[in-house]
Amino acid sequence: MSSRAESKDEGAGTRRPADLRDALGQTIVGQTGVIDALLLALLSNGHVLLEGPPGLAKTLACRSLAAALEGDFKRIQFTPDLLPSDIVGTRIFDQRESAFATVFGPIFANVVLADEINRAPAKVQSALLEAMQERQVTIGPASYPLPDPFVVMATMNPLDSEGTYALPIAQMDRFLMKVSVGYPSREEELRILDRFAVADTQPIRSVATLEDVRAWRAQAHDVHIDDKLKRYIVVLVAKTREPSEFIDFGASPRATLALAFLARGRALLNGRDFALPDDVRAIAAHALRHRIGFTYRLAAEGMNADRVIEAIVAAVPAP
Amino acid sequence: MVSRAALALAVALLATAGVGQPQTLQRLSVQSFALSTDAARPRVGVSFHLVVSLRIRERVAQIENLDLPMLAQLELLGDERESAAGPHGTQYRETITVVADNAGPVAISPATLQAIDARDGKPKEWYTNSLTLQVAGAGAQAVPNGFRLPANGAPAALRVSLWAMAAACIAVVALLILRRRRPIVISQQPPAAPGPELPTPIRTRRQRAEDALTVLRAEPTRAAAVRVRAAVWRMVGASNGETLGDVLRRPESSDVTTRDLLIALERSAFTYEDDLSPAIVDACSALERYIDSWVSS
Repeated sequence: MSSRAESKDEGAGTRRPADLRDALGQTIVGQTGVIDALLLALLSNGHVLLEGPPGLAKTLACRSLAAALEGDFKRIQFTPDLLPSDIVGTRIFDQRESAFATVFGPIFANVVLADEINRAPAKVQSALLEAMQERQVTIGPASYPLPDPFVVMATMNPLDSEGTYALPIAQMDRFLMKVSVGYPSREEELRILDRFAVADTQPIRSVATLEDVRAWRAQAHDVHIDDKLKRYIVVLVAKTREPSEFIDFGASPRATLALAFLARGRALLNGRDFALPDDVRAIAAHALRHRIGFTYRLAAEGMNADRVIEAIVAAVPAP
Repeated sequence: MVSRAALALAVALLATAGVGQPQTLQRLSVQSFALSTDAARPRVGVSFHLVVSLRIRERVAQIENLDLPMLAQLELLGDERESAAGPHGTQYRETITVVADNAGPVAISPATLQAIDARDGKPKEWYTNSLTLQVAGAGAQAVPNGFRLPANGAPAALRVSLWAMAAACIAVVALLILRRRRPIVISQQPPAAPGPELPTPIRTRRQRAEDALTVLRAEPTRAAAVRVRAAVWRMVGASNGETLGDVLRRPESSDVTTRDLLIALERSAFTYEDDLSPAIVDACSALERYIDSWVSS
């Protein structure tokens, strides 16, 4: 790291985001995409939308992250009968005190796993997404700020289509990134068997504090993005808006911001205080796949969103 | 009687089968129809573009019944269409982004267009030229084996033959004209023997690195660092649109000295202002080590 980064690192001591990644990697086998997504969201002050089948250590990743930061973790299982107050909290009449008392909902935690968000109706989804955006909730007459840092990892199960409420693109746009999670490789599954043959999940040691995360976030904000790279990001997003047989409408300026934030976060995660074109390319799919409207022809011709985004990225020369 | 009617119907259906359904074909005056590529030497894993260009006299919103070339040996990454209609007709361009997964020759069949020829009202099929590319081999080159011919319904081989005959006739006429105009030679002195051919100077990789170091030392600015970076990218066979990650994956970047140089130049191109001077100093040092590695090897 250069001298500029070192002077800002004094406040966080010698702990680095990469240390957190290494610690999580010791508990969670494979799934580096999930771990990196959580860390990037933490550094960029955003939230993650995860799509993938069940049983891929998503809950373990969130719980481990909270434990590594000595923070709070809450899991919310979304069901069709969920109410907004089940998420944000409500006011309950305390008969002993003869007064209403505020009971905070599970959203008041540092790391929140919103599981199967597409099982709950739109009203509940909106309550969560508004809290994510505003970082505060209103219960009764008062507003309460959410903890800092605060990161939500929402999951969507693509397999169960019955009884689900599709998340509109305007709502999905609030997530900084959308990550597709796949099954581990055979070698990774063997390591999972070996690791958990004797005991259940191994407890993770604390490697950083919440104050460290705030310092890292400030460092990430200061990571330098050269003008050539900014133009590259703008051209990349503009490319998604060009007429195409697979794209109905392109990404919004929110995608441009997301690309910049994530590139900065990735640079910091890799020990740099300046972003590179490789950083932008590495996170482009995460920032774009849920912000582009695709036509029916995509599925009809057996294409998938990631291949379209790959072609877009390949068509724009890096600076 | 029934059998005769059935036979007549079958004949009528057969007569129209090869033509498809003329009433769904567009009526076009095709002026040019060609297939081209932007990769003179495509490499395995590096995407490039195939471009189908069509010019017609009519103003249309979209082109129908245009079949793209078969891409059996290439992987399709994307497809873009552009259409510009003006007072002189429509210029249509379809850009296909592809990538080759294997080295060797790749044959790309022609694109085809089915339409009704506006000149005579008959349904026809037009073909572009085909392409043969050599992927990631020595002397990879695009070999267009057709020309931008006036579009007609004739097969590509016949068109090539007609053009070759026309070129030969023109060459014969030109030769005859020149022979008639040649002045009478009085002196019979033999022509001077040609001098030895001077070899075209080729800059070695080490010399190009030395040039880059000279430039960077003389002008320690971001702009110079970007130029030197581009030159070193080309030196290891990369194009300017590739990222550091792409370049580091190339076989020419496998040694430590080259990798350190590439990383140092990347830093000098993208780091913040306060770090620029140290970054350029590091880049110069990396260039020196790279040059020294050529001396010692």
